[in-house]
Amino acid sequence: VKDKVLAGPLDLDPFAASDERLSNALTRRVNADPESVERGLAQLVLTVVELLRQLMERQALRRIDGGGLSDEQVERLGRTFMELDRRMDELTEQFGLTSDDLNLDLGPLGRLL
Amino acid sequence: VIALVAITDAGAPPPVAPLRAVGAGSLCALCVPVAEGESATVDALVDREELIERLMEDRDLLPVRFGADVPDERAAERVLAERHDELAAALDRVRGAVELSVRVAPVAADDPPAEHEPSGREYLRARIARSEVARGVHDRLAALSRAAVVRPGPELLRAAYLVDREAVPAFVAEVQRTQESRPELALLCTGPWAPFSFAGAEAAA
Repeated sequence: VKDKVLAGPLDLDPFAASDERLSNALTRRVNADPESVERGLAQLVLTVVELLRQLMERQALRRIDGGGLSDEQVERLGRTFMELDRRMDELTEQFGLTSDDLNLDLGPLGRLL
Repeated sequence: VIALVAITDAGAPPPVAPLRAVGAGSLCALCVPVAEGESATVDALVDREELIERLMEDRDLLPVRFGADVPDERAAERVLAERHDELAAALDRVRGAVELSVRVAPVAADDPPAEHEPSGREYLRARIARSEVARGVHDRLAALSRAAVVRPGPELLRAAYLVDREAVPAFVAEVQRTQESRPELALLCTGPWAPFSFAGAEAAA
């Protein structure tokens, strides 16, 4: 493949996390064997949870921008999202998934997230 | 069985073998025969990408997603005829443009991680700061492009931009300027790609 980098840092480490994405996606799409059913189900459930998390977080940030929340409410919201974020990371790792996997291709409707 | 590779104008330069052009109306579909038992391997995907890149050098096209196979040329013609107006509109949208991909990630910080766990407020502040960084970079680049799509990802920003062919150098220069003014970020711009992110119904919305 021709060099497709038009502009980039000398050090590509910050982007290395996506390297395995292609081959992971391939093996998962092509091999629908029984062992991967559990993971597929986890992927589906976690994708829906991630969708809700993002929607709620966006809503929370909007309300904080609007200034209608007390200090205590902001603190509690922040803790909740921090904890949710951490749990999501743990769960995706447990099932051998990456954040790239938490998405659904809805065909003509595009992607869920 | 044949694979659809790209949709292009009926008047585009004729493709070279093994590609065949199947026409319907003002459009034609470029197809290749699919070998028995061929599957989606990394090599097959790279070959397909190189084929599409050669084709886009001298014509406007809509790339077709890998795996879009039809039984024969008559079926390809039918697909083309059924979705003719939608595909023609999509081809008009990307005419004269290419897709550029941009990813923005924070440069790994050298300072040791914070001693204490961040408070809820600090966490939210950091989230807001992240989204503002992404929006700032995205707005500058979107202003230089015909259309833009932001995708979710682990980075601060992962986006695709539909850029006029002649505007590519100016776009890349803007990425470089942004990189120079923001040493705490790493910007990666790749392309030119076929307009994969702008070929479908999602881009029309």
